[in-house]
Amino acid sequence: MSEDGKDLPKRVAIRDDLLTKPLDDLDKVRLVGSRCRQCGETSLGERGRCPNCGSGDMETRELGTEGTLWTYTVVRNRPPGKYRGPDPFQPFCMGLVELPDGLRVNALVEGDVEEMEIGVPLRLRVFVHHENEAGQEVVGFAFARTDKP
Amino acid sequence: MSDVVILGIGIHPFGRFDKTFEEIGAEAAAQAIDDAGVTWQDIQTAYLSRMYLPATSGARILRRLGSTDIPICDIEAACASGGVALRQAILAIRSGEIDLALVLGTEKMPRGFMDPSMIYAPWQVAMGLSLNPSYWSMRAKRHMYEHGTSELQIAKVAHKNHRNSVHNPNAMYRKEFSMEKIMESPLVCDPIHLLEICAPNDGAAAVVVASKERAAKLGGRPIQVDACVHTLATYSSDFRCPADSMSATMAPPGPTSATARKAYEIAGIGPQDIDCFEVQDTDAFCEIEIYEDIGLCGLGEGGALIDSGRTEINGDTPVNMSGGLICKGEPVGASHLGQIHEIVSQLRGDSGPRQVSGARTGMAHVLGAGGNCAVTIMSR
Ligand SMILES: [Zn+2]
Repeated sequence: MSEDGKDLPKRVAIRDDLLTKPLDDLDKVRLVGSRCRQCGETSLGERGRCPNCGSGDMETRELGTEGTLWTYTVVRNRPPGKYRGPDPFQPFCMGLVELPDGLRVNALVEGDVEEMEIGVPLRLRVFVHHENEAGQEVVGFAFARTDKP
Repeated sequence: MSDVVILGIGIHPFGRFDKTFEEIGAEAAAQAIDDAGVTWQDIQTAYLSRMYLPATSGARILRRLGSTDIPICDIEAACASGGVALRQAILAIRSGEIDLALVLGTEKMPRGFMDPSMIYAPWQVAMGLSLNPSYWSMRAKRHMYEHGTSELQIAKVAHKNHRNSVHNPNAMYRKEFSMEKIMESPLVCDPIHLLEICAPNDGAAAVVVASKERAAKLGGRPIQVDACVHTLATYSSDFRCPADSMSATMAPPGPTSATARKAYEIAGIGPQDIDCFEVQDTDAFCEIEIYEDIGLCGLGEGGALIDSGRTEINGDTPVNMSGGLICKGEPVGASHLGQIHEIVSQLRGDSGPRQVSGARTGMAHVLGAGGNCAVTIMSR
């Protein structure tokens, strides 16, 4: 219950327009993208206008769940500000994940940080990232290696 | 654009000081005004370049030089702020309304990583996708993968810049490090190590700019501004913006290439005509990428260029004679004007042990958040 007595949803997306709804079964949640009908470019999230050509002729679509790692880095220090990742801090990979929809998504990449390589196959994983101040589960996403490490 | 000249320069060393931003800024401004051989009352308009300071910072700093009714406004365009402020002064002079202006850059920043909420959305901060060096490092990894650039070559850039900084009294770190020491320093974001990365800090730099006519009357040692260009990264040309996603269908030229190309066109010269360069080495890899983007070598050849030694002070295309951002630190608003201070000193022949012999032309380059890029070309 919130302060004004209204029921808050148990789960919220880390950014509302990034994930499909409902959020009950996280295995069924997909990333949302916007494709421009004018220039064909696709970008992450729901967008009213195309970030390439500025057209408002956009369609929202579910993005593919399988991709490959285009580039990455290992974050070796706890990020500053209101970082809500694991405590104590664990070094993690972030990278650009190339999806078949014609875009590369900036995301957390799961796998052994010392074994990560450009080109490895990845699959979307949607999970409860942290709990917010109101006690709601905040749902985030990452891409996890589908080959061994 | 050779109708505008830099008449005076001033700098407060970059580092960490027990002083207010007003004190640091006023020192650099007063020095530039003295160097130009004019008085504060002669200045007709002023601009402050800054990113992390509070509102009306320009007014607060310049009051210390004596109260006047000279208009001053604060300008922010991330790492390119100094280029934008200089450009505003140039445009004001070219409009004919004024003929003498002060451009000041000042910053005072906390230690460690920059406050992510200034640049990133809350969800990116929560997930940890909000560390500036991680974006630069991802470019480095891809460059290594595509072009075979090595960690050794990246470390060589840091080695060169640390060596150059020993001779720069305005740099924060003035110590030479061995290649081993650099490569054994802790990884910040793979493949970039602590001794290969710049730190935010405090500092100020200032220039007095004048129309050529006014400068002719005033005398002194004017340096021509041949081009001063500011651009933003176009769609999907740079993921430093920071973008949620990038296109996988196109690879447009990055902001440095686009800005440098415009600047060369305006100045009517090319990279082969420029004698010395100060560029945005936020990390050592960035400098390798910039070599390619400003045309010092071809795509993928940046690693070979550092190997060749040509970007050393005694090479034929010296880069970051000052020690670069890696050694000076990055007081964001002061950064580009600090580079211009270095280039003007070089073109005047005042750079002592780090002087590029016979330098007649120079370029200063910055690139940062939002895909903001500025390039200034100067000559004597
Ligand atoms: Zn479009």
